[in-house]
Amino acid sequence: MDHYHAGIAVGLAAGIVAGLIFVAFLFKKKVLDCHFDERQELARGKAFQYGFFTLLISDYVYALSDMILGRWCDVLTGITICLAVSLCVFATTCILKDAYLSLREKPRVVMTMFALLTLINLGFGGAHAVSGDLIEDGVLTFWAVNPIIGVATLVILIVYIVNHLLCSRGEEEE
Amino acid sequence: MKNLRMKAARAALDLSQQQLADAVGVSRQTINAIEKGDYNPTIKLCTAICRRLGKTLDELFWEG
Repeated sequence: MDHYHAGIAVGLAAGIVAGLIFVAFLFKKKVLDCHFDERQELARGKAFQYGFFTLLISDYVYALSDMILGRWCDVLTGITICLAVSLCVFATTCILKDAYLSLREKPRVVMTMFALLTLINLGFGGAHAVSGDLIEDGVLTFWAVNPIIGVATLVILIVYIVNHLLCSRGEEEE
Repeated sequence: MKNLRMKAARAALDLSQQQLADAVGVSRQTINAIEKGDYNPTIKLCTAICRRLGKTLDELFWEG
């Protein structure tokens, strides 16, 4: 492994560790929480099932596309796309069944965090697009991981907001 | 099938869905789903709701 790739590996590992510490901090501060009621747990089980099968299918589609089209993206990017798609399916199913946020989580705080995550990741993606790092020799590089995550969090945010607006309108009519 | 008896019992005590949900430890949407007949609660949740509304299981959940 040369210095460049070793640097990338260390950077990724440091990013993952920093992310885990941040998430642990959010749990400690009760911003994130895992207390769901019985209906939510059932709904999340179903959503997890849909997400799991989406992950299996998208992995297979990615592998097939790589075989048929040749290498069109880095493996890390391909796997991230599959994960993002299945996470979106899981989150959308949970949101539609009112089981995404736990009993103690505050919607405004969590959605603000999602908006920040979206902005940061899309910002990084934009910066890499400007510097021309995203695509090299027709291959989507691992720098595309940030914008992919940004798009996934944006989709979740939009689904949550639209669902919230539609539900509150329904409640008003009721 | 809608659970109108539960809705009536809750209204009689002047409780909102959110207040009942907080009292029995579930989300407001879960209480709403039970009243609309979209969710079939476990016996544990049924008894918690009955206790809070001062009713018996028969009075709120038995479809005789």
